[in-house]
Amino acid sequence: MFHALVAVKQVPDTTNIRIDPETGNLVREGVPAIMNPYDAHALASAVEWKRKLGGKVTVVSMGPLSFTVTIREAVELGADVGYLVTDRKFAGADTLATSYVLAQVIQMIHEKEPIDVLFFGKQAIDGDTAQVGPGVAVRLDLPIITYAVKIRDIDLAKRQIIVERKTERWTEVVEAPLPALVTCEKEIAEVPFAPLPDLIRSLRYEPEVLTVDNTGIFDAESIGVRGSPTVVFKMGTPPLPEPGEKINSREVGVEAAVAAAFAKAEAAGILTSVLGGVK
Amino acid sequence: MNTSDEKIRFDAIVVGAGLAGAAAAMVMARAGLNVALIERGQKAGGKNYFGGAIYTHAIGEVLPDYMDRKPPFERPVTEAGFWMLSKDGGLTKMTVQGGKLGAEPADAYMASRAIFDVWWAEQAQKEGALLIPKTTVLDFIRDSAGQVIGVKTDRAQGDVYAPVVIVCEGVNNLLTQKLGLIDHDLEPAHIALAFKQVIALPMDTINARFGLPDEKHGLAASVLGDVSLGLPGMGFVYTNNTSVSVGLGMMLDAVVEYRLKPYEVLQRYLRHPAIAPLIKGGQLMEYGAHLIPEGGYRDMPKLFTGGAMVAGDAASMVNALHWEGTNMAIVAGKLAAETAIEAHKRGDFSAQTLSQYEARLKDRFILKDMKQYRNFSRFLETHPEFMDAYPSFINDALGQFFSAYGMPKKTLFKNILGSLTSRRQLFKAVGDMLSMGRAVMGW
Repeated sequence: MFHALVAVKQVPDTTNIRIDPETGNLVREGVPAIMNPYDAHALASAVEWKRKLGGKVTVVSMGPLSFTVTIREAVELGADVGYLVTDRKFAGADTLATSYVLAQVIQMIHEKEPIDVLFFGKQAIDGDTAQVGPGVAVRLDLPIITYAVKIRDIDLAKRQIIVERKTERWTEVVEAPLPALVTCEKEIAEVPFAPLPDLIRSLRYEPEVLTVDNTGIFDAESIGVRGSPTVVFKMGTPPLPEPGEKINSREVGVEAAVAAAFAKAEAAGILTSVLGGVK
Repeated sequence: MNTSDEKIRFDAIVVGAGLAGAAAAMVMARAGLNVALIERGQKAGGKNYFGGAIYTHAIGEVLPDYMDRKPPFERPVTEAGFWMLSKDGGLTKMTVQGGKLGAEPADAYMASRAIFDVWWAEQAQKEGALLIPKTTVLDFIRDSAGQVIGVKTDRAQGDVYAPVVIVCEGVNNLLTQKLGLIDHDLEPAHIALAFKQVIALPMDTINARFGLPDEKHGLAASVLGDVSLGLPGMGFVYTNNTSVSVGLGMMLDAVVEYRLKPYEVLQRYLRHPAIAPLIKGGQLMEYGAHLIPEGGYRDMPKLFTGGAMVAGDAASMVNALHWEGTNMAIVAGKLAAETAIEAHKRGDFSAQTLSQYEARLKDRFILKDMKQYRNFSRFLETHPEFMDAYPSFINDALGQFFSAYGMPKKTLFKNILGSLTSRRQLFKAVGDMLSMGRAVMGW
């Protein structure tokens, strides 16, 4: 029996988000909340492997009660059980405190039902830190494979996983013993159009709610604001780069414009380096 | 996990969580039926759009305590009527305010469908109906005798079974055609394309520009005259709390024939000297369009078959002159639901049992009005002067009547008559009035 755990986060749909020019904060008002897209792809991969190997997918999310819709969406996409870790005492958590809380919860679940693979998105599209997955792996002393694009094999008998991961220069094929933690790129799996029975089950699904009191597994110094040493000094949008010089080919003619552009590039040292690379 | 041999079963299926669909689901769920309300959009009403204002008599019929449930209404309609625009920039207002329109709760409220329909479907969910979003019904499941016993959706393992299906699919009546209840596709000559802008303005600005004492008062006006280039069509103006909804509807065949760009027609209307100052300085919040089935009685499909009934826009339940449609949809949804409840009691879902639905519609304003107005859409097609000549004439006539030109009144009245006869011969004008009467009264 395969047991996958997937961590999911609810994020504002940043494709239509604005930044308040005065405060530098995200304007969340009126922005729809969605499941972090990388998490959705990670979940889709976990569900694919569950269908291949037989077993169970458990989802964990940390956030306010409104994250229930995200747990339901996970159930729609094929998760079997969803835990919502929610408590006012978690408010203000940075990635350090968040990875602590998730690690504690995952350890608790693992002791009840051993987990084989932990699936995380490579990062959340709101904070873009890519720290929580690795943070959990370190706390739980698990092998971590980041930026995974394909899971070649999960062998429960040999207790190993083989994963392709993307780096800036090439693709690495990595083998790790189970349990292992994988952070996923979107290529890892297509998010499916859920079968109707899964959708119907999700509509009435109530997540298992975990709080500080009903679990008793959290150290008060490590959670919420107290467990979060990160301080944001300032947020803002980077200034737009200065537009480059324009050479109007209608005025000077196409050939003259191209020649002028090449001359400029050569003078700036750009052209020689490109041509040097080609040689 | 469901295995494939486990069928998904409900007591009733409603296709489409619009006004008709959610009303039907609400009534059936309240009677204890297990109801699936299947919606193709992300949310209830996600595909819906209207002018608009919504009538409360229909809401109250389904949900007597609706005002206690905090419906997301905008301003009440406390002033309603016709505005007539002339080509030379004139505007004659013929509106009524107060009186019957001052009642509370009001006869109608402005609303936004994207918000209202979510609330409306929530009331059905509170009664126990299961809203299944993001799922499109493609076809029906039938038994060997051809009776409808369920629907096929676009999802894997997507068959849903129920002995009765109420189809509230909206203007695009693909499923109604699949049921064999209507034998032709939508006809552009019988479909209006309505388009509008929602323009944000401060509440006080709206009050001042529309002569409304406060935000507890609102205007809904049908705009005739120099709106739709003299083609069959009508404009509208609705005041929301902090926005104004302005737009117009035209018959789709005219839009196609004259290759009109709806946004250009709308821009022209919004630049009319009487309209432009009302929306000046406002911020465009929304631009949208929707089709309205205005073919009337003659375009209505057969309303039932074994195991299925049709309600709302899918059944062409629209009275174009009175802007009625939402109320018909809600009441028709309720009547279909009552018929389904009765069918469950009898354990008989045959066409004969479901024919009760049509009988119920005949008893109410819906089929009575539809029948009476059966000639109205043809009337507008053949009488463009109601869009063009008459509104201009009325502006002209009133303008002359209330001006002092230092001329004998005999000349004045002659001039007024002349401004009519220059537009339309007298005997034809009399004929127009008669045919209008015929179209509206159903003579």
